[in-house]
Amino acid sequence: MISAQFDYVRANTLDEAVSLLAQNEDAKILAGGHSLIPAMKLRLAMPQMLIDIGRIKDLSYIVEADDQIRIGAMTTHYQIESSDLLKKICPLLPECAATIGDVQVRNKGTIGGSLAHSDPAGDWPAAVIALNAELVVAGKNGERTIKANDFFVDLLTTALEPGEILREIRISKPHGRAGQAYVKMHHPASGFAVVGVAANLSLDGDSGCQLASVGITGVSSKAYRAAAVESGLTGRTLDDKTIAEAAARATEGIDINGDLFASEDFRRHLAQVFAKRAITTAASRAI
Amino acid sequence: MQIESTQELHAPRERIYAALVDPEILRRCIPGCESLELTGERTYAATLKAGVGSIKGTFKGNVRLEDMRPPEHYRILVEGKGIVGFAKGSATFDLLEQDGSTLINYLGELQVGGTIAGVGQRMIQAAAKMMAGRFFTALEAEAMSEPPAVAGG
Repeated sequence: MISAQFDYVRANTLDEAVSLLAQNEDAKILAGGHSLIPAMKLRLAMPQMLIDIGRIKDLSYIVEADDQIRIGAMTTHYQIESSDLLKKICPLLPECAATIGDVQVRNKGTIGGSLAHSDPAGDWPAAVIALNAELVVAGKNGERTIKANDFFVDLLTTALEPGEILREIRISKPHGRAGQAYVKMHHPASGFAVVGVAANLSLDGDSGCQLASVGITGVSSKAYRAAAVESGLTGRTLDDKTIAEAAARATEGIDINGDLFASEDFRRHLAQVFAKRAITTAASRAI
Repeated sequence: MQIESTQELHAPRERIYAALVDPEILRRCIPGCESLELTGERTYAATLKAGVGSIKGTFKGNVRLEDMRPPEHYRILVEGKGIVGFAKGSATFDLLEQDGSTLINYLGELQVGGTIAGVGQRMIQAAAKMMAGRFFTALEAEAMSEPPAVAGG
């Protein structure tokens, strides 16, 4: 359980981190270190250099800016879990944060680290997809913005180019009668999502669904937008039958993974059950 | 763990088969393959630097081709180990012609042990599918560009 040798550099600014990353091809960014360090201790990952961005001051924040919420990449799960601002205007995020790992993980682990790692069972990817977030990344040629839905490419693979660092998560504030929910089945040992579903709904005065965004994690090699579920909800009145029929399409067109803990069939079933719970809960919260 | 899938490649069957048994083409197509050297009849020694994201490992092992019936069928046996674990598996490939394209049905059995199996179990299937996808994409490109070699290996 001792990692291979590596160099350690602490970056004082984001620019410095970007330039260090550009100079060292085999370097990894160290955020909260709750995925990377365990992998290094098992020697599953052996980067030659760690660039620690943990002391960069202006990467950890939750602020309102016009009709957006902006969250710095180094904001910890606990900071999100305990944010009164988020509880009020975007409760999906604190609810999701509260389900991650254990207290130690939530105190150190960061939303940006989790997103950039793109663990297939990570919780944040489902949440940012459901919230239609925009991810701001910094590289040596400046900044660019990637839509959450395009960010997750494959297993542990994101749209981040080599040399790019995730800097900020931007979420549009929900309007009107919005209802959100994140529900998951915890793996009993790791706390990871065997299946996790984030639902973000916007209803009109008669419980008609104007907008539905559903992100699902744990099922496939990456988190995905459940487009079939969304189209089964949008424009309809959300009664039990409509929700059940839409949730039944949670894995439509998706390549489901199985492992020792949960087979493909079990995961398909779980995805449908948890999609239904997430949508029902979200709809009941829309007031 | 079983892996079963069908892949459609837009190249003639003879070319695909020739590419599938050509060590030089295989070396270029297998994700992370650094060397593939002939050590005996249809047996090769391979070095693989495989990984996804930040998780990487170097594996050394052997590859053997069996039951060769060009251009429709063969079986591949692989075994390898590295510091993060070991893997052993076999797969049968059946190639079908379809309107100038080739359908490859493959059925593989894979056993993985060591650290990678202990802590990475939940990702092995996804990783295997991802590697297979990359392999076939590269193979299709090779089969389209290379002149047909002599099949049979």
